[in-house]
Amino acid sequence: MEVLTSLINVALIVATLRTTAPILLVALGGSFTTKAGIFNIGLEGQMLAGAFFAVLGSIWTGSAWGGVLCGVAAALVFAYVFALLVVTFRANEVVVGLALNILAGGMTISLMKAIFGTRGSIVGQGIVGLPKIQIPYARELLGSWAPLVSGYTPLVYIAFLSVPLFVLFYKRTRLGLYIRVVGEKPEAAEALGISITRIRYIASLLCGLFAGLAGAHLSLGYITMFTENMSSGRGFMAVAILIFSNGDPLRVLAGCLLFGLADAFSLRLQTFGYPSYLILAVPYLVALTALFALSYAARPKLIRETADSMRRFLRAETPDSRPTEGSR
Amino acid sequence: MSPLMRTILGQVIAVAFALALGSIVILLIDESPIRVFSTLMRGAFGDVTRIAGTLLQTTPILITGVAACIALRGGMFNVGVEGQLFMGGFAAALVGFALPMPPGIHMLAGLIAAICAGAAWVAIPAWFRVRFNANEVVSTILSNYVAVLFTSYFTIFLFKRPGGWSETPPIASSAYLPELFDFSRLNWGLLIGLALAVGAAWYFRNTPGGYAISMTGSAPKFAEYGGVNIRKRGFWVLIASGAVGGLAGGVETLGVHHRFMEGFAPGFGFDGLIAALLANGSPIGTIATALFFGALRSGSLLLETDTSASREIITVIQAFIILSVSAQFLVRRRGDAQGGERRWKF
Repeated sequence: MEVLTSLINVALIVATLRTTAPILLVALGGSFTTKAGIFNIGLEGQMLAGAFFAVLGSIWTGSAWGGVLCGVAAALVFAYVFALLVVTFRANEVVVGLALNILAGGMTISLMKAIFGTRGSIVGQGIVGLPKIQIPYARELLGSWAPLVSGYTPLVYIAFLSVPLFVLFYKRTRLGLYIRVVGEKPEAAEALGISITRIRYIASLLCGLFAGLAGAHLSLGYITMFTENMSSGRGFMAVAILIFSNGDPLRVLAGCLLFGLADAFSLRLQTFGYPSYLILAVPYLVALTALFALSYAARPKLIRETADSMRRFLRAETPDSRPTEGSR
Repeated sequence: MSPLMRTILGQVIAVAFALALGSIVILLIDESPIRVFSTLMRGAFGDVTRIAGTLLQTTPILITGVAACIALRGGMFNVGVEGQLFMGGFAAALVGFALPMPPGIHMLAGLIAAICAGAAWVAIPAWFRVRFNANEVVSTILSNYVAVLFTSYFTIFLFKRPGGWSETPPIASSAYLPELFDFSRLNWGLLIGLALAVGAAWYFRNTPGGYAISMTGSAPKFAEYGGVNIRKRGFWVLIASGAVGGLAGGVETLGVHHRFMEGFAPGFGFDGLIAALLANGSPIGTIATALFFGALRSGSLLLETDTSASREIITVIQAFIILSVSAQFLVRRRGDAQGGERRWKF
């Protein structure tokens, strides 16, 4: 019981909101591509590139916002290459996405060695982190609950305030509508004279923008450092969220809060002396469980398909050996 | 020009383009591309020991590559080969140090344990994939992280060698894969890999089952119409792919390290997938591409000491190769998927 009460309190909620922010940013970015009908497994790499170049930019310009700008620019380059290959050259999304992830991993490590002469991580070196915003009067009005709304880095506010904006964007704006049409009914989009190519480029670049912000938050937010592969699968978790939320901003938020909670919980549990390896696995297990459970929940249509294939199976006696005749 | 020649030529051009891009990156980090590539060549093929070293690095890439090929043929991405390799490696080590057995049988038992561990590790994602259409790309990627963390946990908290690094006790010599030469750790694993590649190619080319898998991958509707149960096929394709992935880990443990340790085979699973993609899903082609990537990996060891470039530069080159291959791959078939209907699935 003591463990529980010391686990669940205001600090846990605050930690949850903090850990939710980067994954929420990257997942919101991914919602653009998901809605536009692109499966974007490259979020991880865009985020990692964003994190690295945010640190680099922060050192070069001496300002956190300069860093954020550099991070976003790097993620945009990755997003552009992704769009170029997937939309223009019609390459396979999974192959391109995975290759860009591998590229981001290798490139950041190579550049780290070339620029800083170190392996592993960049700490200090004049990295400027993002400031924390204190909301005026929060302490007077809310007392000990004040940390819930005040004292976060700006990107946390941007992440959460984006959610209602995204809802409005998809419902009320022309571009939002176009993106949805391109994803759901490309033929209709074409009939309306909407350029599918252009919309998909725009969606991909918007995605890069948010993935870059997510990366910048990782390396300039609560810890100001870059470590090898520091995105550690958050981009993939975001993809899992996007699959079962179908890119709807509110469901994305719900999914991200779940992961934020799992993340914050696992950080907490480590302080209680549970083996860190098992605890670090918790967020991934949560992601897997959610992916499986929600794919199960979305099954009705598939059951019909299975029933059909079962019927076919019963009709054909030896289904496995048949396709050879006449088809070779 | 025959289609095969055109494919090979296309891949060669793509590789050349990627190497050119890689050279630009090398120039950007203030190093000479010529020096880097000649160091890579020297590191990979400099003398007979280095050639053996290259083949040693080729072995796991070849086996994981075959694992990826099997899934690709069936129209699926097994991005979880890395995790299957870790589980397989750990299972083989467990059998190797915990269960005393006569020589020969011990080695076989270790390899079988590795195969089972790899297959078991992919079973849940595979089942949800074919039954409820849960995206196998994401589920297998996420299970990689879990596999790495779990095996580390087992190694450090349950089986740590007293006073040692984060590694299990060494396995009994009765479970070693026999070495091929006395000057290198190169072992039977290479032969196992070659046999697997040839066997898989033969299976896909000559058996009804292999044909059914290829059809399931390239034209699922056609396969279903022809009477193939594509769900059942898909499941067993992923299981087979996972089993081979696990075997790769077993071969690394029993043939090279003779123990399981944290991070014992970093990135081999991904290298295998890249090798398979570059070979266009052909197991025989994977022999060549795995050798290429094995040479890059083995050469990169020298890169770290002889140049200012880090060994990850080869990862960058590999990524460029896949990107340029993926682009030209579709230039060839431009126009067949006009407009919108573009699924991520094959």
